[in-house]
Amino acid sequence: MSAARARVTLAELVLLAVLAVVFGFLYWALVQAWGALQLAMGPFGDLAQHVLIGGWMVAAPLAVYVVRKPGVGIVVELVAAFVEVAFLASPVGPTLLVVGLVQGAGAEAAFALTRYRRYGWGVFALSGVLAGLASTALGVVRFGWLGQDWFAWRLGLQVVSGLVLCGLLARVIGDALARTGVLDNTALGRARRGRTATGPSEASVEPAGPDDVEVQVDERTGAR
Amino acid sequence: MNGPGLGRALPHDSVLHRRNPTVKLAVSFAVALVLLVPVDPWTPAVLLVLALPAATLAGRLGARTVLRALALFTPFALSLLAVNAVTRPGAVLAHVGGLEVTTTGLTVGGALALRTLLVGLLSVAFTLTTDAGRLMTSLHQHARLGPRATFAVLAGYRVLEQLPERWETVRRAQAVREPARRPGARLPSDPASLARAAFTVLVVSLRQGERLAIALEQRGLGAGPRTVARPVPLDRRDLVLAVVVLGAVGVVLLASWRSGVLRTWSTVG
Repeated sequence: MSAARARVTLAELVLLAVLAVVFGFLYWALVQAWGALQLAMGPFGDLAQHVLIGGWMVAAPLAVYVVRKPGVGIVVELVAAFVEVAFLASPVGPTLLVVGLVQGAGAEAAFALTRYRRYGWGVFALSGVLAGLASTALGVVRFGWLGQDWFAWRLGLQVVSGLVLCGLLARVIGDALARTGVLDNTALGRARRGRTATGPSEASVEPAGPDDVEVQVDERTGAR
Repeated sequence: MNGPGLGRALPHDSVLHRRNPTVKLAVSFAVALVLLVPVDPWTPAVLLVLALPAATLAGRLGARTVLRALALFTPFALSLLAVNAVTRPGAVLAHVGGLEVTTTGLTVGGALALRTLLVGLLSVAFTLTTDAGRLMTSLHQHARLGPRATFAVLAGYRVLEQLPERWETVRRAQAVREPARRPGARLPSDPASLARAAFTVLVVSLRQGERLAIALEQRGLGAGPRTVARPVPLDRRDLVLAVVVLGAVGVVLLASWRSGVLRTWSTVG
Protein backbone atom coordinates (compact mmCIF):
# COMPACT_ATOMS: atom_id res chain seq x y z
CA MET A 1 0.00 0.00 0.00
CA SER A 2 1.51 3.32 -1.07
CA ALA A 3 1.97 6.16 1.37
CA ALA A 4 -0.41 8.46 -0.49
CA ARG A 5 -3.23 5.95 -0.34
CA ALA A 6 -2.56 5.22 3.30
CA ARG A 7 -2.86 8.86 4.38
CA VAL A 8 -6.16 9.52 6.11
CA THR A 9 -8.16 12.33 4.48
CA LEU A 10 -9.90 15.10 6.40
CA ALA A 11 -13.33 13.66 5.63
CA GLU A 12 -12.19 10.30 7.04
CA LEU A 13 -10.73 11.99 10.12
CA VAL A 14 -14.03 13.72 10.81
CA LEU A 15 -15.86 10.45 10.24
CA LEU A 16 -13.55 8.77 12.77
CA ALA A 17 -14.12 11.61 15.25
CA VAL A 18 -17.90 11.30 14.87
CA LEU A 19 -17.76 7.51 15.31
CA ALA A 20 -15.58 8.01 18.37
CA VAL A 21 -17.85 10.67 19.84
CA VAL A 22 -21.07 8.71 19.38
CA PHE A 23 -19.50 5.55 20.80
CA GLY A 24 -17.77 7.54 23.55
CA PHE A 25 -21.16 8.97 24.51
CA LEU A 26 -22.85 5.57 24.37
CA TYR A 27 -20.04 4.04 26.48
CA TRP A 28 -20.48 6.84 28.99
CA ALA A 29 -24.28 6.36 29.06
CA LEU A 30 -23.67 2.63 29.51
CA VAL A 31 -21.45 3.31 32.51
CA GLN A 32 -24.09 5.57 34.07
CA ALA A 33 -26.77 2.93 33.59
CA TRP A 34 -24.43 0.22 34.83
CA GLY A 35 -23.56 1.92 38.11
CA ALA A 36 -26.72 1.03 40.03
CA LEU A 37 -26.82 -2.53 38.74
CA GLN A 38 -23.15 -3.02 39.56
CA LEU A 39 -23.82 -1.94 43.13
CA ALA A 40 -26.80 -4.29 43.41
CA MET A 41 -24.77 -7.27 42.21
CA GLY A 42 -22.11 -6.69 44.86
CA PRO A 43 -18.89 -8.62 44.19
CA PHE A 44 -20.31 -10.08 40.98
CA GLY A 45 -20.88 -6.62 39.53
CA ASP A 46 -17.19 -6.43 38.72
CA LEU A 47 -17.37 -9.71 36.83
CA ALA A 48 -20.42 -8.52 34.94
CA GLN A 49 -18.38 -5.76 33.31
CA HIS A 50 -16.53 -8.45 31.36
CA VAL A 51 -19.77 -9.47 29.69
CA LEU A 52 -20.07 -5.95 28.31
CA ILE A 53 -16.40 -5.22 27.63
CA GLY A 54 -16.66 -6.10 23.94
CA GLY A 55 -19.24 -3.38 23.38
CA TRP A 56 -16.68 -0.84 24.59
CA MET A 57 -14.24 -1.78 21.86
CA VAL A 58 -16.63 -2.17 18.91
CA ALA A 59 -15.65 1.20 17.42
CA ALA A 60 -12.17 -0.05 16.44
CA PRO A 61 -13.05 -2.92 14.06
CA LEU A 62 -15.98 -0.85 12.75
CA ALA A 63 -13.64 2.03 11.87
CA VAL A 64 -11.18 -0.30 10.11
CA TYR A 65 -14.08 -1.90 8.21
CA VAL A 66 -15.33 1.50 7.01
CA VAL A 67 -12.08 3.40 6.32
CA ARG A 68 -9.72 0.46 5.56
CA LYS A 69 -6.43 2.20 6.33
CA PRO A 70 -3.72 1.32 8.86
CA GLY A 71 -4.03 2.93 12.28
CA VAL A 72 -7.66 4.03 12.12
CA GLY A 73 -8.79 1.48 14.70
CA ILE A 74 -6.27 2.84 17.20
CA VAL A 75 -7.13 6.45 16.32
CA VAL A 76 -10.85 5.94 16.83
CA GLU A 77 -10.36 4.28 20.23
CA LEU A 78 -7.93 7.02 21.29
CA VAL A 79 -10.38 9.77 20.31
CA ALA A 80 -13.25 7.96 22.03
CA ALA A 81 -11.14 7.74 25.20
CA PHE A 82 -10.14 11.40 24.84
CA VAL A 83 -13.81 12.42 24.56
CA GLU A 84 -14.69 10.47 27.69
CA VAL A 85 -11.77 11.95 29.63
CA ALA A 86 -11.71 15.56 28.44
CA PHE A 87 -15.39 16.23 27.88
CA LEU A 88 -17.34 13.70 29.97
CA ALA A 89 -15.14 13.41 33.10
CA SER A 90 -14.73 9.63 33.13
CA PRO A 91 -13.89 8.17 36.57
CA VAL A 92 -11.11 6.16 34.93
CA GLY A 93 -9.25 9.38 34.21
CA PRO A 94 -6.50 9.93 31.64
CA THR A 95 -5.41 6.28 32.02
CA LEU A 96 -8.33 5.63 29.69
CA LEU A 97 -6.11 6.88 26.84
CA VAL A 98 -3.80 3.93 27.49
CA VAL A 99 -6.82 1.62 27.62
CA GLY A 100 -8.03 2.94 24.27
CA LEU A 101 -4.60 2.52 22.74
CA VAL A 102 -4.20 -1.09 23.91
CA GLN A 103 -7.75 -2.16 23.01
CA GLY A 104 -7.57 -0.44 19.62
CA ALA A 105 -4.23 -2.08 18.85
CA GLY A 106 -5.62 -5.49 19.86
CA ALA A 107 -8.67 -5.10 17.64
CA GLU A 108 -6.69 -3.76 14.70
CA ALA A 109 -4.00 -6.48 14.79
CA ALA A 110 -6.28 -8.97 13.03
CA PHE A 111 -6.82 -6.62 10.09
CA ALA A 112 -3.12 -5.75 9.94
CA LEU A 113 -2.41 -9.50 9.57
CA THR A 114 -4.47 -9.54 6.36
CA ARG A 115 -2.80 -6.28 5.27
CA TYR A 116 -6.22 -4.56 5.38
CA ARG A 117 -7.47 -6.62 2.44
CA ARG A 118 -9.88 -9.17 3.89
CA TYR A 119 -13.08 -8.37 5.78
CA GLY A 120 -14.70 -11.76 6.24
CA TRP A 121 -16.43 -12.90 9.43
CA GLY A 122 -13.32 -14.83 10.49
CA VAL A 123 -11.15 -11.71 10.51
CA PHE A 124 -13.75 -9.88 12.60
CA ALA A 125 -13.95 -12.81 15.02
CA LEU A 126 -10.16 -12.83 15.40
CA SER A 127 -10.19 -9.07 15.89
CA GLY A 128 -12.68 -9.38 18.75
CA VAL A 129 -10.72 -12.19 20.41
CA LEU A 130 -7.44 -10.24 20.19
CA ALA A 131 -9.13 -7.14 21.61
CA GLY A 132 -10.44 -9.21 24.53
CA LEU A 133 -6.97 -10.64 25.20
CA ALA A 134 -5.33 -7.18 25.03
CA SER A 135 -7.93 -5.79 27.40
CA THR A 136 -7.37 -8.65 29.86
CA ALA A 137 -3.60 -8.11 29.80
CA LEU A 138 -4.17 -4.47 30.68
CA GLY A 139 -6.52 -5.41 33.52
CA VAL A 140 -3.77 -7.60 34.99
CA VAL A 141 -1.54 -4.53 35.16
CA ARG A 142 -4.19 -2.09 36.42
CA PHE A 143 -6.15 -4.17 38.91
CA GLY A 144 -3.88 -7.13 39.65
CA TRP A 145 -6.36 -9.70 38.32
CA LEU A 146 -3.75 -12.46 38.34
CA GLY A 147 -3.78 -12.47 42.15
CA GLN A 148 -7.55 -12.97 42.30
CA ASP A 149 -9.53 -16.19 42.43
CA TRP A 150 -11.60 -15.62 39.30
CA PHE A 151 -8.91 -14.97 36.70
CA ALA A 152 -10.00 -17.81 34.37
CA TRP A 153 -13.58 -16.51 34.46
CA ARG A 154 -12.42 -13.00 33.69
CA LEU A 155 -10.28 -14.17 30.76
CA GLY A 156 -13.02 -16.40 29.32
CA LEU A 157 -15.76 -13.80 29.61
CA GLN A 158 -13.57 -11.08 28.07
CA VAL A 159 -12.65 -13.22 25.07
CA VAL A 160 -16.24 -14.33 24.41
CA SER A 161 -17.54 -10.79 24.86
CA GLY A 162 -14.82 -9.46 22.56
CA LEU A 163 -15.70 -12.09 19.96
CA VAL A 164 -19.44 -11.32 19.96
CA LEU A 165 -19.87 -7.69 21.02
CA CYS A 166 -16.70 -6.29 19.45
CA GLY A 167 -15.74 -8.42 16.43
CA LEU A 168 -18.97 -9.82 15.02
CA LEU A 169 -21.13 -6.87 16.10
CA ALA A 170 -18.82 -4.45 14.26
CA ARG A 171 -19.48 -6.27 10.98
CA VAL A 172 -23.24 -6.27 11.66
CA ILE A 173 -23.30 -2.53 12.46
CA GLY A 174 -21.05 -1.72 9.50
CA ASP A 175 -23.28 -3.59 7.04
CA ALA A 176 -26.42 -2.01 8.53
CA LEU A 177 -24.88 1.47 8.27
CA ALA A 178 -23.80 0.83 4.69
CA ARG A 179 -27.37 -0.17 3.77
CA THR A 180 -28.65 3.23 4.94
CA GLY A 181 -26.34 5.00 2.46
CA VAL A 182 -24.44 7.21 4.93
CA LEU A 183 -21.20 5.39 4.15
CA ASP A 184 -21.46 5.70 0.35
CA ASN A 185 -18.41 7.98 0.20
CA THR A 186 -16.17 5.67 2.24
CA ALA A 187 -13.98 2.71 1.32
CA LEU A 188 -16.71 0.37 2.58
CA GLY A 189 -19.37 2.03 0.41
CA ARG A 190 -17.11 1.90 -2.66
CA ALA A 191 -16.27 -1.76 -2.03
CA ARG A 192 -19.97 -2.64 -1.82
CA ARG A 193 -20.79 -0.76 -5.00
CA GLY A 194 -17.91 -2.47 -6.79
CA ARG A 195 -19.27 -5.85 -5.76
CA THR A 196 -22.84 -5.24 -6.92
CA ALA A 197 -21.69 -3.71 -10.23
CA THR A 198 -19.64 -6.75 -11.26
CA GLY A 199 -21.91 -9.44 -9.81
CA PRO A 200 -25.03 -10.82 -11.54
CA SER A 201 -28.10 -8.60 -11.25
CA GLU A 202 -30.50 -9.77 -8.55
CA ALA A 203 -33.60 -9.81 -10.76
CA SER A 204 -32.24 -12.54 -13.00
CA VAL A 205 -31.38 -14.87 -10.09
CA GLU A 206 -34.78 -14.64 -8.44
CA PRO A 207 -37.07 -17.59 -9.17
CA ALA A 208 -40.25 -16.46 -10.89
CA GLY A 209 -43.72 -17.98 -10.65
CA PRO A 210 -45.36 -19.34 -13.86
CA ASP A 211 -47.61 -16.28 -14.10
CA ASP A 212 -44.98 -13.59 -14.43
CA VAL A 213 -42.49 -15.36 -16.71
CA GLU A 214 -43.44 -13.13 -19.61
CA VAL A 215 -43.07 -9.98 -17.55
CA GLN A 216 -39.61 -11.05 -16.43
CA VAL A 217 -38.45 -11.64 -20.00
CA ASP A 218 -39.76 -8.23 -20.96
CA GLU A 219 -37.85 -6.59 -18.12
CA ARG A 220 -34.66 -8.36 -19.09
CA THR A 221 -34.77 -7.41 -22.73
CA GLY A 222 -35.65 -3.89 -21.71
CA ALA A 223 -32.65 -3.69 -19.43
CA ARG A 224 -30.07 -4.96 -21.90
CA MET B 1 -28.78 15.27 31.37
CA ASN B 2 -27.61 15.58 34.93
CA GLY B 3 -24.08 14.49 34.09
CA PRO B 4 -21.08 16.73 33.55
CA GLY B 5 -21.49 19.69 31.25
CA LEU B 6 -20.20 17.94 28.11
CA GLY B 7 -16.97 19.90 27.85
CA ARG B 8 -18.44 23.21 28.87
CA ALA B 9 -16.48 24.87 31.67
CA LEU B 10 -18.38 26.39 34.60
CA PRO B 11 -19.10 30.00 33.59
CA HIS B 12 -16.87 31.72 36.10
CA ASP B 13 -13.19 32.56 36.44
CA SER B 14 -10.77 30.80 38.79
CA VAL B 15 -7.12 29.91 39.19
CA LEU B 16 -7.74 26.54 37.52
CA HIS B 17 -9.77 28.12 34.68
CA ARG B 18 -6.81 30.31 33.76
CA ARG B 19 -4.21 27.54 33.68
CA ASN B 20 -3.05 26.07 30.38
CA PRO B 21 -5.32 23.14 29.36
CA THR B 22 -2.45 21.04 27.99
CA VAL B 23 -0.55 21.42 31.28
CA LYS B 24 -3.67 20.48 33.26
CA LEU B 25 -4.26 17.40 31.11
CA ALA B 26 -0.61 16.33 31.30
CA VAL B 27 -0.46 16.79 35.08
CA SER B 28 -3.64 14.77 35.70
CA PHE B 29 -2.33 12.09 33.32
CA ALA B 30 0.95 11.90 35.24
CA VAL B 31 -0.85 11.68 38.59
CA ALA B 32 -3.19 8.95 37.30
CA LEU B 33 -0.20 6.92 36.05
CA VAL B 34 1.76 7.31 39.31
CA LEU B 35 -1.33 6.20 41.24
CA LEU B 36 -1.20 2.83 39.48
CA VAL B 37 1.73 1.91 41.77
CA PRO B 38 0.43 2.09 45.39
CA VAL B 39 -2.19 -0.49 46.42
CA ASP B 40 -2.53 0.43 50.10
CA PRO B 41 -5.55 2.52 51.08
CA TRP B 42 -3.51 5.12 52.99
CA THR B 43 -1.66 6.74 50.09
CA PRO B 44 -4.73 7.51 47.96
CA ALA B 45 -6.72 8.43 51.08
CA VAL B 46 -4.23 11.13 52.11
CA LEU B 47 -4.06 12.43 48.53
CA LEU B 48 -7.86 12.51 48.34
CA VAL B 49 -8.05 14.50 51.59
CA LEU B 50 -5.53 16.97 50.13
CA ALA B 51 -7.07 17.12 46.65
CA LEU B 52 -10.69 17.64 47.72
CA PRO B 53 -10.29 21.13 49.24
CA ALA B 54 -7.50 22.07 46.79
CA ALA B 55 -9.55 21.35 43.66
CA THR B 56 -12.74 22.82 45.14
CA LEU B 57 -11.04 26.09 46.12
CA ALA B 58 -8.68 26.50 43.14
CA GLY B 59 -11.49 25.88 40.68
CA ARG B 60 -14.19 27.58 42.79
CA LEU B 61 -16.30 24.53 42.01
CA GLY B 62 -18.56 24.58 45.04
CA ALA B 63 -18.75 21.74 47.55
CA ARG B 64 -22.12 20.53 46.29
CA THR B 65 -20.92 20.11 42.68
CA VAL B 66 -17.87 18.16 43.80
CA LEU B 67 -19.82 15.89 46.15
CA ARG B 68 -22.44 15.18 43.48
CA ALA B 69 -19.69 14.23 41.03
CA LEU B 70 -18.08 11.93 43.58
CA ALA B 71 -21.49 10.34 44.26
CA LEU B 72 -21.64 9.42 40.56
CA PHE B 73 -18.34 7.54 40.89
CA THR B 74 -19.20 5.82 44.18
CA PRO B 75 -20.99 2.74 42.74
CA PHE B 76 -17.95 1.96 40.60
CA ALA B 77 -15.64 2.42 43.60
CA LEU B 78 -17.79 0.29 45.94
CA SER B 79 -18.01 -2.46 43.36
CA LEU B 80 -14.20 -2.56 43.13
CA LEU B 81 -14.00 -2.79 46.93
CA ALA B 82 -16.58 -5.60 47.06
CA VAL B 83 -15.02 -7.78 44.38
CA ASN B 84 -11.50 -7.47 45.77
CA ALA B 85 -12.63 -8.12 49.33
CA VAL B 86 -13.93 -11.60 48.46
CA THR B 87 -11.58 -12.75 45.69
CA ARG B 88 -8.08 -12.28 47.11
CA PRO B 89 -6.25 -14.94 49.13
CA GLY B 90 -5.18 -13.91 52.65
CA ALA B 91 -6.18 -13.97 56.30
CA VAL B 92 -9.94 -14.59 56.44
CA LEU B 93 -11.88 -11.92 58.34
CA ALA B 94 -15.45 -13.06 57.82
CA HIS B 95 -17.71 -15.32 55.75
CA VAL B 96 -20.45 -13.61 53.75
CA GLY B 97 -22.83 -15.96 51.97
CA GLY B 98 -20.20 -18.59 51.12
CA LEU B 99 -17.55 -16.03 50.18
CA GLU B 100 -14.44 -15.33 52.24
CA VAL B 101 -13.61 -11.72 53.08
CA THR B 102 -9.82 -11.38 53.48
CA THR B 103 -7.70 -8.60 54.95
CA THR B 104 -5.56 -8.42 51.81
CA GLY B 105 -8.74 -8.14 49.77
CA LEU B 106 -10.08 -5.29 51.89
CA THR B 107 -6.73 -3.45 51.70
CA VAL B 108 -6.38 -3.73 47.93
CA GLY B 109 -10.08 -3.11 47.33
CA GLY B 110 -10.02 -0.01 49.52
CA ALA B 111 -6.96 1.26 47.67
CA LEU B 112 -8.53 0.76 44.24
CA ALA B 113 -11.83 2.34 45.37
CA LEU B 114 -10.07 5.42 46.77
CA ARG B 115 -7.91 5.65 43.65
CA THR B 116 -11.09 5.70 41.54
CA LEU B 117 -12.56 8.55 43.61
CA LEU B 118 -9.30 10.53 43.45
CA VAL B 119 -8.83 10.17 39.69
CA GLY B 120 -12.54 10.89 39.21
CA LEU B 121 -12.13 14.08 41.22
CA LEU B 122 -9.22 15.18 39.03
CA SER B 123 -11.27 14.45 35.88
CA VAL B 124 -14.19 16.49 37.17
CA ALA B 125 -11.94 19.40 38.17
CA PHE B 126 -10.40 19.31 34.68
CA THR B 127 -13.70 19.16 32.78
CA LEU B 128 -15.45 21.81 34.84
CA THR B 129 -12.62 24.34 34.41
CA THR B 130 -11.62 23.68 30.79
CA ASP B 131 -13.35 25.01 27.69
CA ALA B 132 -13.32 22.53 24.77
CA GLY B 133 -12.29 25.10 22.16
CA ARG B 134 -9.47 26.38 24.33
CA LEU B 135 -8.30 22.84 25.00
CA MET B 136 -8.02 22.02 21.31
CA THR B 137 -6.29 25.33 20.52
CA SER B 138 -3.81 24.66 23.29
CA LEU B 139 -3.22 21.07 22.16
CA HIS B 140 -2.50 22.45 18.69
CA GLN B 141 -0.15 25.14 20.03
CA HIS B 142 1.63 23.30 22.82
CA ALA B 143 1.21 19.58 22.15
CA ARG B 144 1.96 20.03 18.41
CA LEU B 145 -1.26 18.31 17.40
CA GLY B 146 -1.83 18.84 13.65
CA PRO B 147 -4.61 21.21 12.54
CA ARG B 148 -6.49 18.43 10.76
CA ALA B 149 -6.62 16.29 13.90
CA THR B 150 -7.55 19.29 16.05
CA PHE B 151 -10.40 20.36 13.81
CA ALA B 152 -11.64 16.80 13.39
CA VAL B 153 -11.91 16.46 17.18
CA LEU B 154 -13.61 19.86 17.39
CA ALA B 155 -16.09 18.76 14.71
CA GLY B 156 -16.67 15.66 16.80
CA TYR B 157 -17.19 17.93 19.79
CA ARG B 158 -19.92 19.84 17.90
CA VAL B 159 -21.66 16.51 17.33
CA LEU B 160 -21.25 15.59 20.99
CA GLU B 161 -22.81 18.85 22.18
CA GLN B 162 -26.01 18.05 20.30
CA LEU B 163 -26.11 14.34 21.16
CA PRO B 164 -28.32 14.48 24.29
CA GLU B 165 -30.93 16.59 22.47
CA ARG B 166 -30.70 14.39 19.35
CA TRP B 167 -31.10 11.24 21.46
CA GLU B 168 -34.25 12.67 23.06
CA THR B 169 -35.69 13.72 19.67
CA VAL B 170 -35.08 10.32 18.08
CA ARG B 171 -36.50 8.47 21.09
CA ARG B 172 -39.71 10.53 21.01
CA ALA B 173 -40.05 10.31 17.24
CA GLN B 174 -39.76 6.53 17.38
CA ALA B 175 -42.13 6.26 20.34
CA VAL B 176 -44.81 8.33 18.65
CA ARG B 177 -44.83 5.92 15.68
CA GLU B 178 -45.44 2.95 17.97
CA PRO B 179 -48.98 1.73 17.11
CA ALA B 180 -49.73 0.30 20.57
CA ARG B 181 -48.59 3.41 22.42
CA ARG B 182 -51.02 5.25 24.70
CA PRO B 183 -50.65 9.06 24.81
CA GLY B 184 -48.65 10.23 27.82
CA ALA B 185 -47.03 6.84 28.43
CA ARG B 186 -43.35 6.74 29.36
CA LEU B 187 -40.74 6.21 26.65
CA PRO B 188 -40.04 2.48 26.16
CA SER B 189 -36.82 1.36 27.80
CA ASP B 190 -36.46 -2.20 26.49
CA PRO B 191 -33.07 -3.01 24.91
CA ALA B 192 -34.56 -3.28 21.40
CA SER B 193 -35.93 0.25 21.32
CA LEU B 194 -32.76 1.65 22.94
CA ALA B 195 -30.63 -0.08 20.30
CA ARG B 196 -32.91 1.21 17.54
CA ALA B 197 -32.53 4.76 18.85
CA ALA B 198 -28.75 4.39 19.19
CA PHE B 199 -28.47 3.22 15.59
CA THR B 200 -30.56 6.11 14.29
CA VAL B 201 -28.48 8.60 16.30
CA LEU B 202 -25.34 7.05 14.79
CA VAL B 203 -26.69 7.42 11.23
CA VAL B 204 -27.81 11.03 11.72
CA SER B 205 -24.50 11.96 13.39
CA LEU B 206 -22.46 10.40 10.57
CA ARG B 207 -24.49 12.44 8.08
CA GLN B 208 -23.82 15.61 10.09
CA GLY B 209 -20.13 14.70 10.22
CA GLU B 210 -19.98 14.43 6.44
CA ARG B 211 -21.49 17.91 6.08
CA LEU B 212 -18.99 19.28 8.63
CA ALA B 213 -16.08 17.71 6.73
CA ILE B 214 -17.22 19.30 3.46
CA ALA B 215 -17.55 22.68 5.19
CA LEU B 216 -14.03 22.37 6.64
CA GLU B 217 -12.55 21.37 3.28
CA GLN B 218 -14.23 24.33 1.57
CA ARG B 219 -12.48 26.61 4.05
CA GLY B 220 -9.16 25.21 2.90
CA LEU B 221 -8.33 23.30 6.06
CA GLY B 222 -5.15 21.27 5.75
CA ALA B 223 -4.11 23.19 2.59
CA GLY B 224 -1.24 25.08 4.25
CA PRO B 225 0.12 26.57 7.47
CA ARG B 226 -2.46 28.14 9.76
CA THR B 227 -2.49 30.94 12.29
CA VAL B 228 -4.33 30.73 15.62
CA ALA B 229 -7.15 33.19 16.25
CA ARG B 230 -7.12 33.33 20.04
CA PRO B 231 -3.82 31.86 21.27
CA VAL B 232 -3.78 30.22 24.71
CA PRO B 233 -0.99 31.52 26.97
CA LEU B 234 1.57 29.21 28.54
CA ASP B 235 3.69 30.84 31.27
CA ARG B 236 5.47 30.44 34.58
CA ARG B 237 2.25 30.06 36.57
CA ASP B 238 1.49 26.84 34.67
CA LEU B 239 4.89 25.54 35.70
CA VAL B 240 4.02 26.42 39.32
CA LEU B 241 0.79 24.41 39.06
CA ALA B 242 2.66 21.38 37.72
CA VAL B 243 5.40 21.62 40.37
CA VAL B 244 2.91 22.05 43.24
CA VAL B 245 0.68 19.13 42.22
CA LEU B 246 3.44 16.69 41.29
CA GLY B 247 5.48 17.78 44.32
CA ALA B 248 2.56 17.09 46.67
CA VAL B 249 2.08 13.63 45.16
CA GLY B 250 5.82 12.96 45.49
CA VAL B 251 5.91 14.04 49.14
CA VAL B 252 2.90 11.87 50.03
CA LEU B 253 4.41 8.85 48.25
CA LEU B 254 7.74 9.40 50.01
CA ALA B 255 6.05 9.79 53.40
CA SER B 256 3.99 6.62 52.97
CA TRP B 257 7.12 4.72 51.89
CA ARG B 258 9.19 5.94 54.86
CA SER B 259 6.40 5.25 57.36
CA GLY B 260 6.03 1.71 55.98
CA VAL B 261 2.37 1.83 54.88
CA LEU B 262 3.15 1.89 51.15
CA ARG B 263 2.26 -1.34 49.37
CA THR B 264 2.73 -2.25 45.73
CA TRP B 265 1.57 -5.27 43.73
CA SER B 266 4.90 -6.96 44.44
CA THR B 267 4.60 -6.63 48.22
CA VAL B 268 0.89 -7.42 48.45
CA GLY B 269 1.24 -10.88 46.88
